[in-house]
Amino acid sequence: MKSSKLVIAGKELSSRFFLGTGRYPNPFIQNEAIRISEAEVLTFAIRRVNLDAPSEDAILQHLDQDSFTYLPNTSGASNAEEAIRIARLAKASGISNWIKVEISADEKTLLPDPIETLKATETLANEGFVVLPYTSDDPVLCRKLEEAGAAAVMPGGAPIGTGLGVLNPYNIGLIAEEANVPVIVDAGLGSAKDIVEVMELGVDGVLMNTPVAKAKDPVKMAHAMKLAIEAGRASYEAGRIPMKKYATASSGYTSLISR
Amino acid sequence: MELMINGEKQEVEANTLLDVVSHFNLESHLVVTEVDGQIIDRDQWDQTTVKPEMKIELVHFVGGG
Repeated sequence: MKSSKLVIAGKELSSRFFLGTGRYPNPFIQNEAIRISEAEVLTFAIRRVNLDAPSEDAILQHLDQDSFTYLPNTSGASNAEEAIRIARLAKASGISNWIKVEISADEKTLLPDPIETLKATETLANEGFVVLPYTSDDPVLCRKLEEAGAAAVMPGGAPIGTGLGVLNPYNIGLIAEEANVPVIVDAGLGSAKDIVEVMELGVDGVLMNTPVAKAKDPVKMAHAMKLAIEAGRASYEAGRIPMKKYATASSGYTSLISR
Repeated sequence: MELMINGEKQEVEANTLLDVVSHFNLESHLVVTEVDGQIIDRDQWDQTTVKPEMKIELVHFVGGG
């Protein structure tokens, strides 16, 4: 069976599931969800320490740091300059040189700003970061990001947190077909069926946060998503049958008993 | 002295950046510091003198997607 591993910037990953760490009911449920998801890459955000309660929400205290690859994001940035600043702060922590460039151009949709995303990707790749830009589902833009040094491209399925699923499967499929770097669909997915659909388009992985964290049972949903990623990938590798308008019998018509 | 920490005026008794971090009990945390726009690595905290009105950022990782 044809089966290839996901490799980003020379690192072979054991899972195609990238999991976010925001909005879980509590750290215990979050850790259980992470464990059952078998995700290796975890995303985080960078924020100011709350000086009135400095100990709260220091998320990495709850995790065994050696077992994961950390992918901090630049959320909150509205242009390349802000994203680059956040990326440098993240790298100064010493835990990772991977960065998810996330530059929102619009408060209502949080859609990424393509021009600023491209600028930040180029600068940070030149500085030695492993850059994974969150981008719109535009095949041409994804090619430009790749040329600018992106280690993977992360087109959105739909706006962040909407759970609308893959709004433009044609574009996502084209990106998967053309890219020379891994394609990770990031944002907008809602349930396991969305995951299977997007994996069958041939993308290399999926980044999720809200659909797991805000599910009624986040741990069970993390499990469902893991299975969906595996099922969708296996289905893609196996190669589906073509769609036809009319029936084909599963058994032949020779030696029919009634004749 | 009065310092601008995370965008707010704070009265802190401190000579070095390490004193500032200690003031908020953050030494053991994975905190990254920036002073007047320059990132200061952890091993430089005790050698970085702070002066009144300096703009200091203390940031860390939080949950996110």
